[in-house]
Amino acid sequence: MSTFKTENPGNQPVWVNTHNCKACDICVSVCPAGVLGMRYDHTSTLGAMISIDHPEACIGCQECELSCPDFAIYVAEKKEYKFAKLSDESKERQVAVVANNYMSLEA
Amino acid sequence: MAFNYDKYLRVNKMPTLWCWGCGDGVILKATIRAIEKMGWDMDQVCVVSGIGCSGRFSSYINCNTIHTTHGRTVAYATGVKLANPHVNVIVVAGDGDGLAIGGNHTIHGCRRNIDLNFILINNFIYGLTNSQTSPTTPRGMWTVSQKNGNIDPTFDACKLAIGAGASFVARESMLDPKKLEKILVKGFSHKGFSFFDIMSNCHINLGRKNKMANAMENLAWIDSITTPLKKWEALSEEEQMNVFPTGVLREVEQEEYCDMYAQIQSAAQGKRKAITQNDFAKKI
Repeated sequence: MSTFKTENPGNQPVWVNTHNCKACDICVSVCPAGVLGMRYDHTSTLGAMISIDHPEACIGCQECELSCPDFAIYVAEKKEYKFAKLSDESKERQVAVVANNYMSLEA
Repeated sequence: MAFNYDKYLRVNKMPTLWCWGCGDGVILKATIRAIEKMGWDMDQVCVVSGIGCSGRFSSYINCNTIHTTHGRTVAYATGVKLANPHVNVIVVAGDGDGLAIGGNHTIHGCRRNIDLNFILINNFIYGLTNSQTSPTTPRGMWTVSQKNGNIDPTFDACKLAIGAGASFVARESMLDPKKLEKILVKGFSHKGFSFFDIMSNCHINLGRKNKMANAMENLAWIDSITTPLKKWEALSEEEQMNVFPTGVLREVEQEEYCDMYAQIQSAAQGKRKAITQNDFAKKI
């Protein structure tokens, strides 16, 4: 049984292996572009799971992948996906997500 | 396709037993990426770990691993290295494992300058046994064994390693995994004892009682007590006491223990004369 999904599930900038994720909020806090957020999930130990809200804003910095302690989140390589540039809108969204206790803004 | 961690991990052991947001996972990941950068064959890598949360390190990485008795990591690793000088040995110990019960072994590993890579995962508390004071716990923190506040001063592990004679000493926190990876690569390619003091978070057993109950608050605290070496040098002496410098603190070329041990072996086989004081540049 392989629990890993290093393969891109199909033209995605960032994807999550929910089997490994423990919902520690680190990836959400280090993302500079407000791509990620947490959503409620009653099956998870901490009651939350990552949700990728704005994949189109991902800049491919790999901060989330490198800071994840549980090998749960992966970022595509620069050559296989065309990443966006960091915009003011995405910066503001990141601030709002952090202020919202790392929870996703979209209910 | 992202970076392929499967190659380096025992995937059937996942997810890890560490708490959510534990820095040990980030250090494991940085170590894997550093091994990939070094181009080491996993059959020629040996990871030795002791007891504590850091002891789980050897269970997850897929190479030759030894999960040893409490504090004796350097002793086991010295044996592995002397018997197989071509093997790249990585030693992982926590602050209790490497500085308290195993402090003696750490000192003498440093003194011999044997080619080991010693990763000290410093989370400022005995995390596995639920918050007892460790040698690195800062003053004034609440712990189970010091309920009215810890009065023991914190331990600067890098100063110990420099004093004992390790030839590569570096400190980094797990806040910046890219920097951590770079410093690991630098230390892994160094010949001699490489000592890494890597600051990690324990927001469960240190943080909950010390007003940093989630990973981000604990990481912010670690950020506040560390500063890059160049900035640290510019600080006044009083300010220097309150923060730890990060980066490479010492990097020198020194005689390596395995090389000298090979000479002892050839002397025993009659291939050369016994070693005298004249064989060394430094006489005492």
